[in-house]
Amino acid sequence: MKKTLLVALSLGVSVAATSTMASSVDPEKDRQEAVKFFEAKTPNVPIADYINGAYIYDADKMAQWEAAEEFPPYLDAVDAGEALWNQDKAVYEKCFGSDTTNIRQHYPYFDEKTQQVVTLEWAINICRENAGLKPFKYKKGDIANLSGYLAYQARGEKIDVKIDSEGAKAAYNKGREFFLEPRGQLNLSCAKCHTYNAGRKARSNILSPHVGQTTHFPVFRAKWQELGTLHRRYGGCQQNMRAKPYAAQSETYRNLEFFEAYMSNGLEINGPGYRE
Amino acid sequence: MNSTMKQLLTALAISSAVIASPASVQAADKGATAIEQGKKLAFSRSQGNCLACHMVADGAMPGNIGPALIAMKLRYPDKQKLYNKVWGTPDTQNVPNSMMPPFGQNGILTDEEIGKIVDYIYTL
Ligand code: HEC
Ligand code: HEC
Repeated sequence: MKKTLLVALSLGVSVAATSTMASSVDPEKDRQEAVKFFEAKTPNVPIADYINGAYIYDADKMAQWEAAEEFPPYLDAVDAGEALWNQDKAVYEKCFGSDTTNIRQHYPYFDEKTQQVVTLEWAINICRENAGLKPFKYKKGDIANLSGYLAYQARGEKIDVKIDSEGAKAAYNKGREFFLEPRGQLNLSCAKCHTYNAGRKARSNILSPHVGQTTHFPVFRAKWQELGTLHRRYGGCQQNMRAKPYAAQSETYRNLEFFEAYMSNGLEINGPGYRE
Repeated sequence: MNSTMKQLLTALAISSAVIASPASVQAADKGATAIEQGKKLAFSRSQGNCLACHMVADGAMPGNIGPALIAMKLRYPDKQKLYNKVWGTPDTQNVPNSMMPPFGQNGILTDEEIGKIVDYIYTL
């Protein structure tokens, strides 16, 4: 009895180890497979619609959401973001250029010099710090409003994450692995909810597909009554998994964003979005 | 891993003991309270939270990630197998990418709590 269990447990470990080692995949092939997977799952929903998240799976919720978007609750936050931009305009223009419609779509990217994924929020704070300004806190408030403003300005542009180096590929694979690996007390992974069970309900919450998950961030959630960043949401989901969240803009979450954004390549930027 | 092992072995020992003793020996009202407690545990968001994923009897706002928990006696003539499934013994974790949390293995619920939940869902 004891022996069998030990064998079973050690087998489990070695299987996990093998799958970790074998997981350096080709990002473009990986993305196309994910798209095919979702197309097969829900043939009547064009991938371009995945920017609308879980609402693609429920006509009633989609209708309610469209009604909410007619008087978007996040416009004040966008205005606040614009004011923040103007307040330190000279600083930001040095880092990002003066065309605010041409910023959001260049993030996240892989920086070859530092071998790090650079997200928009991270770049904003680096820019501020280099100019001697105080960095913003990462999950809500000024950072979300400024990022929301830049998303709003770039609406209709497409997500276009590039992976053309070994370093970038490795960052993608790290993000991918994080996404796939079960963690936390409930033994859940991001993929269990947002890939394999996308479209199903956890209680009354419909699970969104991971393709398209980054297009509309930051998001104004009814639950939050304010804009929150993508990494705030990552932290929330990890808490639901009873796993310890990582810090917003930690390398782990930046790699995760890199993976998720690459998965959303070709989709329209429609941030900030409104969600339940 | 060692402590998991230990937990696992204890779980198996305890659970078989519990289930081997005929339930009918217990007074009917005692049984009923265990079942009620089991239902509470199953429905509570911070404990079993089975409704997050399963339709369960009259539970409000069930998810539909896992199969509805109905006709459990029919599907699990051997109650120990049902216990093992909820506990999460390795042989029951055989569905690829399953969302079903291993409640006993990961220490989400105690063996006793799982026993009560199993008593409850066995009535469904
Ligand atoms: C137990 C199920 C579950 C797990 C595991 C889970 N999530 Fe979620 N997640 C949800 C639910 C429910 C929502 C809200 C409905 C929706 O939009 O999908 C959500 C929302 C999100 C959103 C916002 C989607 C949108 O359209 O605004 C993102 C992004 C996200 N999750 C990422 C993740 C990542 C990354 C992980 C792993 C670290 C993860 N989730 C793990 C259940 C889960
Ligand atoms: C996060 C999602 C989730 C939660 C929470 C959950 N389950 Fe499950 N459960 C599943 C899924 C998915 C399956 C089907 C795949 C499998 O058998 O592993 C399943 C399968 C089962 C089965 C086997 C059903 C069959 O037809 O053989 C039983 C019994 C069960 N769950 C009981 C429970 C009980 C009792 C609870 C609460 C204490 C619970 N589950 C909580 C997702 C969940």
